[in-house]
Amino acid sequence: MKTIAVIPARNEAANLRMVVDGIRELYPSLDILVVDDASTDGTSDLLPDLGVRWLSLAQRIGVGGAIRAGLRYARGLGFEVALRLDGDGQHLPEHLDRLLRPIESGDADAVVGSRFKTPSGYHAPLGRRIVHRALAVCLSQLTQQPVTDPTSGFWAFGPRSLQVLGDHYPKGYSEPELLLFMCRNNLTVVEVPVEMRQRHAGRSSLTLLRASLALARTALAMIVVPLRTTVVRKRHA
Amino acid sequence: MLDPVQILAIVVSALLLLLVLELVRRRLLGEEYAMVWILGAVGLLALSVWRGALDTVARWLGVLYGPALLLLLLGFFVFIALLFFSVVVSRQRVQIDRLIEDIAILEARLRDHGEDEHGSRSVTE
Repeated sequence: MKTIAVIPARNEAANLRMVVDGIRELYPSLDILVVDDASTDGTSDLLPDLGVRWLSLAQRIGVGGAIRAGLRYARGLGFEVALRLDGDGQHLPEHLDRLLRPIESGDADAVVGSRFKTPSGYHAPLGRRIVHRALAVCLSQLTQQPVTDPTSGFWAFGPRSLQVLGDHYPKGYSEPELLLFMCRNNLTVVEVPVEMRQRHAGRSSLTLLRASLALARTALAMIVVPLRTTVVRKRHA
Repeated sequence: MLDPVQILAIVVSALLLLLVLELVRRRLLGEEYAMVWILGAVGLLALSVWRGALDTVARWLGVLYGPALLLLLLGFFVFIALLFFSVVVSRQRVQIDRLIEDIAILEARLRDHGEDEHGSRSVTE
């Protein structure tokens, strides 16, 4: 399957080369697309030298919008599978195979890498762990499937997902909403265990205020997304 | 006989209506967004001219003090107007995001196209 790695990046000049080199080392022929979300740290100057495809967004539209643009561009170029990795070096390229396997076997429309499916060395602050756990319980109930890592940004999207998400990928820090959207539209999501590192350099764009807003948005999404009309017709057996 | 307060209310309401119409005439306010303000101004004018209406409706609703009903109606109007404009802003945000994405995609396609052309020229040269 024709596959591309999509990396949304906002002020990741210090990390991007390491992320791209890491992927290249293991998958030399994999297409890589970086979507620069109007960075102000020189990320856009770096892109032409990385030897990747790239999109430069003129204004900041958030990680969700950046991924949507990337998926739409990939879809237009005829890619069937898109891998989504963060630009901060958290996601290990050696796990990409695990994400691809359920899609290639036809068992999933999308695959998400989970830090908590099996015990891993990933340590988050207590507050964040509590929020993760509460979100995981709520999303497991709403989607009727086990969700262990509701905020993971390490995904693989298969052909059906790619078709839909190029137009409908949720805005903002949207992973929990994405899970709800996939479930509402009868797209199968499978979790696979992965390990993640802490961000390599720089600071996350997810400040306390943004995290609080994202949480409020997720709470609203839990109410409204299951009530929205579907954009994908049910698959016939 | 009109008392001074009623005359003032009629004049202010009429001026508000004229202001909205003038803004539409100068194309500073779009017709679709002017409707909510025209409705508000006409409602205000109607209540100013037909002074008994407010007391009649207030009595009917069981509101003892007529002007309190006016404040309540004003509150509803402002709420609806703000909601209406929030919808407009949200729709425009979606459109702007989409345009930003489209521009970036078009730029990338042009770049891809240029690279393809450059590549094929190098091969033929």
